[in-house]
Amino acid sequence: MKRNKKKPEKNTKTTAKVTKTSSKSTKKEIPKTPSLLTEKHELQKAEVPRSQESCQSDKALVYVVGEAPMVEQYAELCIAHGYDVCISWNEPPSEKQNTLSPGIIISSTVPENTSIAIELTNIDVLAKKKNLEKLAKALPETAPILSSSITITATEQCAWIVGKYRLVGIAALPTFIDKLLVEVAPTIYTPMETLEVVSRFFLTIGKEIEIVQDRVGMVLPRILCRVINEAAFAITEDIAAPDDIDKALTLGMHFPLGPIEWAEQIGLDQVYAVLTALYTDLQEERYRIAPILKQMAMTGVWWKQSLAH
Amino acid sequence: MLKHLGIVGAGTMGTGIAQLAALSKIDVQLYDVNETILRRSIERIKADLRKMINLGKLPHEEFNATVERIRTRTSLPDIGHCDCIIESIIEDIRVKKDLFKHLDVNTKSTAVLASTTSSLSITSIAALTRNPERVIGMHFFHPVNTVSLVEVVKGYKTNTETLERAIEWAKLLGKNPIIVKDTPGFIANRISLPMFSEALRLLGENVAYAEQIDNIVKKIGGFSAGPFETLDQMGIDSALAETESLYDQSYGEPRLRPHPILKQMAESGLLGKKSAKGFYNYEEMK
Repeated sequence: MKRNKKKPEKNTKTTAKVTKTSSKSTKKEIPKTPSLLTEKHELQKAEVPRSQESCQSDKALVYVVGEAPMVEQYAELCIAHGYDVCISWNEPPSEKQNTLSPGIIISSTVPENTSIAIELTNIDVLAKKKNLEKLAKALPETAPILSSSITITATEQCAWIVGKYRLVGIAALPTFIDKLLVEVAPTIYTPMETLEVVSRFFLTIGKEIEIVQDRVGMVLPRILCRVINEAAFAITEDIAAPDDIDKALTLGMHFPLGPIEWAEQIGLDQVYAVLTALYTDLQEERYRIAPILKQMAMTGVWWKQSLAH
Repeated sequence: MLKHLGIVGAGTMGTGIAQLAALSKIDVQLYDVNETILRRSIERIKADLRKMINLGKLPHEEFNATVERIRTRTSLPDIGHCDCIIESIIEDIRVKKDLFKHLDVNTKSTAVLASTTSSLSITSIAALTRNPERVIGMHFFHPVNTVSLVEVVKGYKTNTETLERAIEWAKLLGKNPIIVKDTPGFIANRISLPMFSEALRLLGENVAYAEQIDNIVKKIGGFSAGPFETLDQMGIDSALAETESLYDQSYGEPRLRPHPILKQMAESGLLGKKSAKGFYNYEEMK
């Protein structure tokens, strides 16, 4: 199948390889771009057995911080692909800690030998800022920071840190992390070297990348959360029963999951955070959040009508 | 009980429903104004039944009996005795209103009058009938033989008896019926619409290429087809007409607003697979 030539001009297209990035402003911003992958920090699986006691081994170390369950999911993915992994949560999920794979170390201190950091906060922007500031101070200047950028753009996040060239946005939501593709959003500061490292890192954990523009919601979170919001409006208007909505979309429109089941799996608080960010960023009525969705995100009560109904 | 089913319109949907009903041992009166269309419809059904026999899904000896359950008609009064009449004609509200007005007069008073419309209001379709309580929507999905969902759409005046019968008969045809209120796009089309409109906006805002968006939706979202592949498949003009219809019926709800890209493409003749060019180029596949 031959593709039409109708493509936006500014974007880049790559699958697990970097083809192009806007770097004029990058070069201006960064007088001296550090070499991001020295031999010492090269992101390859080491043969040497990993220490179970600390984050000190010859393997490349990934530090993952942010919200559950994404932190555990990325940690499991990285450790399964041969990395050393240290993690920290914004709010530790007590029941999860015992189910982590052996070797995943919980540490609020960012190890000095960290090769790459992943920040996974979508809901609490202040916590995200704090995490990024901490990472930027503690990490070696060669270590890239992959930061979920669906509720605030990666470029805006760069304003919080020194070493802006290190930060690259990714689309992270629960249910996305075990997939074989990840959306990556370079910022206006991102140099080619960082993208190359990021691309190589994702390849080593079994993921291809799709480079998209750095916008709130990126691609799939924006599409999916709008679908879920529409389902919430339909429930509010009593158009169909929640179970029937899922049935309609899976049986009639070939959705892999109904929007309500999907929202449950992602987490209503995450969906609400994405929709709030979209509404704030785009300032359009079409992104207005269904009141029932807001109430349920706040209360954690799922699709139950009030007594007034 | 559904003994005799009348179907008005022998296009793709009408033909599919006729086949389903005949396979469910229901006598079918298949009406169309055009005899050629009726002949083609029967030939399509025969071809499909032969395929089923070859696949072992239908005993050979049931072929003739199944075909003989379908009688073709070119006069509407000939289907007046049916227990249920399912309309499957052009998506034009004026044409449908006229038809239902006619059916209302020329069918037995207990018959259920159902429309397969995917985007028009059942309440509007029933507006010119004397008995709107027996008018209902039965929105089948394409391809009707394989997609099991039927949206049973309750119009403003549809009564409970009509609703219950429509649900029972949809199950008799082997379908999974769900009850839906009569609102623009009903449920499946309305809720899936943001997937397409948001994909178009992402494209319009240069966030990603169509090809990238499809790739992301498939590989991360787990969909079998991306939004642009689906739009090309259904036809850009059809997608535009449907979204415009929903937008108009909702009196300009911003969430349902069509995207200008669809209009520009439709006006440029980039209609998707049927014109060999849409969001993708299919010329080499010809």
